[in-house]
Amino acid sequence: MNVQQAVAPRSSANGFSRRRVDRETGARMDNRTHSGKPSSANFGNSGKIIQVLLVVPPLPSSNKLLITGLTNGSKIGGVAGPSRDRLIYVLTYLVGQHVEVLVKNGSIISGIFHSANADKDFGIVLKMAQVNKDGSIRGQKPINDIVKRPQTMIIPSRELVQIFAKEASLSSDELMNGHSREKRKDLLIDSVISHSHQVEVERELERWTPDEDDPACPELENIFDRTWNRNWDQFETNETLFGVKSTFNEELYTTKLERGPQMRELEIEASRIAREIEGEETHDPHLAEERGINFHENFDLDEESRYSAVQREVDDGRYEENEGSLLDACNAEACGGSSGSVVSRSYSDVLSKKINNEASKKVNSEAQTSSTFPSVDEDSHILADKDIHVSGSTDHATQPTSNSPAERSSFMDDENRLDKKKTKDQDVEKSLLNECTDRVASEQAQTSKSEDVHPSVHVKGLPPGATTYDPSSSVPGNKCPADDTSDSAISGKLSSASETANPSLRPGSSTSSTSECVGAGSVSGGPGLSPSSSVGSLSSEKSTLNPNAKEFKLNPNAKSFMPSASLRPHTPVDGSFYYASNMPAVPHMHGIPVGVGIGPSFGAQQPVVYNPQAAPLQSPQAYIHPNGPLYGQQMILGQPRPVYYMPTYPPVSSVFSPLILTAISVSF
Amino acid sequence: MDGANGEEFAAGCILAIKTTLGDEFEGQIITYDRPSNILVLQEGTTKPGARRNLRLLKANYIKDFTLLGRGEDPLDPKKCFIDLAAIQAREDAAMRQAEIEAERIGVGVTAEAQSIFDALSKTLPVRWDKTVIVVMNEVRVCSPYLPDNVSGGTPAANERVKKVLEFERKRLQARSPGQF
Repeated sequence: MNVQQAVAPRSSANGFSRRRVDRETGARMDNRTHSGKPSSANFGNSGKIIQVLLVVPPLPSSNKLLITGLTNGSKIGGVAGPSRDRLIYVLTYLVGQHVEVLVKNGSIISGIFHSANADKDFGIVLKMAQVNKDGSIRGQKPINDIVKRPQTMIIPSRELVQIFAKEASLSSDELMNGHSREKRKDLLIDSVISHSHQVEVERELERWTPDEDDPACPELENIFDRTWNRNWDQFETNETLFGVKSTFNEELYTTKLERGPQMRELEIEASRIAREIEGEETHDPHLAEERGINFHENFDLDEESRYSAVQREVDDGRYEENEGSLLDACNAEACGGSSGSVVSRSYSDVLSKKINNEASKKVNSEAQTSSTFPSVDEDSHILADKDIHVSGSTDHATQPTSNSPAERSSFMDDENRLDKKKTKDQDVEKSLLNECTDRVASEQAQTSKSEDVHPSVHVKGLPPGATTYDPSSSVPGNKCPADDTSDSAISGKLSSASETANPSLRPGSSTSSTSECVGAGSVSGGPGLSPSSSVGSLSSEKSTLNPNAKEFKLNPNAKSFMPSASLRPHTPVDGSFYYASNMPAVPHMHGIPVGVGIGPSFGAQQPVVYNPQAAPLQSPQAYIHPNGPLYGQQMILGQPRPVYYMPTYPPVSSVFSPLILTAISVSF
Repeated sequence: MDGANGEEFAAGCILAIKTTLGDEFEGQIITYDRPSNILVLQEGTTKPGARRNLRLLKANYIKDFTLLGRGEDPLDPKKCFIDLAAIQAREDAAMRQAEIEAERIGVGVTAEAQSIFDALSKTLPVRWDKTVIVVMNEVRVCSPYLPDNVSGGTPAANERVKKVLEFERKRLQARSPGQF
């Protein structure tokens, strides 16, 4: 087999000089060359390096020879075997690739692999070859090394040590793709454009060593080993260096920790609650990840869904349970007052709004700041104060206490609202802000009214409730008939807590009692929140359901609505419009029968509650799903509402129910 | 190489090899051709399709080797097709590229001169005229390629080339102290 020798000695100078010539090779070539060029052996007799001007025959013929070599490989010269075939295959594959050839004296010659003499001993031919590293001169190149143009070089077999081709993959796929890659090579890429390979290589890099033992560099490896024991106080440093004094007061940002004799117990309690919460079973893969629970359900969750994607599923079972049980606890005004976040302590907002704006602000801030549920504060307050003032540092029911007695009386007047709010306040996660149930409210109102005597009972009920964390434990005075789930029990507890708080308000208002009242709420809220924490987490997930919407109860008497020709197309609910509906919108909507938007057809009639007393009405926080039934929003005014309805997303058939409207207006 | 080694050079084996010239590397055997004593190795990641380095080593330069393991044959004999046309095209493209690059290299100029040329070429169009750097076809810089050697062209161009030259020289100096 004759692999293209690619050598045809020629005497004429064509600008190329050859490095060496293998006489043997030349002779062989004479005999067997298939190239189209003349082949006069021009080289000398000695085996030494001979400058011979050679020209490389045109490529196509070399190709043919290679092919011949390939096909004939196994038949020729007694050198048979798959290993030889493979070698030929590899060599053929290498044609056209940049290779680096290591030769015996250590020099490295790099060039484009052109062909090899597979017949004999595999001398190779490189085109555009250059000596990269001259092995004979150890060390760096002399400065005045003359730059040579690349030449075609033949490297005889005996000089050959190694051929190294970078990034030459042998799989057939690669080869198929090779063509496309070729095409791509014609595209300009940055490194091609910048010819970055031609830039002189940067200097020899040395590892950095510190100059002397630089005192400014303390043990760099150790500095972050023990964060608690760093021997370096940044505040001190700042102060000495720049005179900057730190004015950080932790208590500005969180509720004050009462460190007292009961601290230890409170800590234990708190950690217990924490453990409960963290140990809860959850279906949320994010939560599970956080808690270290192996979320076995879906092992095909990829990284994205595990760590970055937003969970959009709605855990229907839980959610609905929420919905049902929380409806009762909903406080219409609370809803109004609640901030945008469903899960937030909107209760506090609600309550505050209802009672006192300023108070609400206080509460809100508190709510925002101190949000640790099983906080030591709560517990400490609970246990420390044995009297009615169940002190808690958390937010929730603060407002009432902060009110003056006068306000409180008025507050009592609005007990419906208040109670609702309280309940709601405590049921933070389950903030169905919009809807509150009149029934529940009234019941609780009665309860609170009549049970001045009971505060102590309630109080007692609370600590056990707080410590036992038993959602199902019945708390005396649980007057939430609608609650039949654990949530209801909780809300029951909460309501009782609120009830407790109510009477506690009366005696006297002091800031301490304020916090205590808050604590009351929070106490029950603490354990109560545990089961709902997961709920909270659930609701923190994006849910397409409107958590604030009321359950829909079909009114059999409703007249069916026939859209008139003039019916305006459904406009998405203008959130801002709605929110501002309190005052300005009310007169706006006068003409519209209590603006109960039933389904999209009522888009034009924004759900503004026609409520003259609506002054403090807040709807803002109510999440209004633009396409959802709008009627839910009306109910916000905290009036006792007999109407329950579920946010149904399959659009409710346009049923215009004047009766419903009348019911609403009646309730005002 | 003796026969014993040949048996161990089965395709797919992973070896760690030390050569007599001091190189060390690991790779998987693709083939070993006894008559020519060439061992063909492939290095690189095991991910199929990833580009890997290829080494053809004359076995008599192996000083020492260790068998790291046996893998499967990296070549599937049934799938080894070579598209000669593609290879040809690849070679042509490589040649073209190499020639373009060769144009940038001055014949008979010092390495220093070459680096100056390269540095200038990053921002200015330059070419060689024997041993003279011709910038923008008008300004010439001859040996020893100091700012004083800049001549020709409009004053503005001249100035510009001078400045660039100075800057590049400084940079080269900073980069390789002692060499320039």
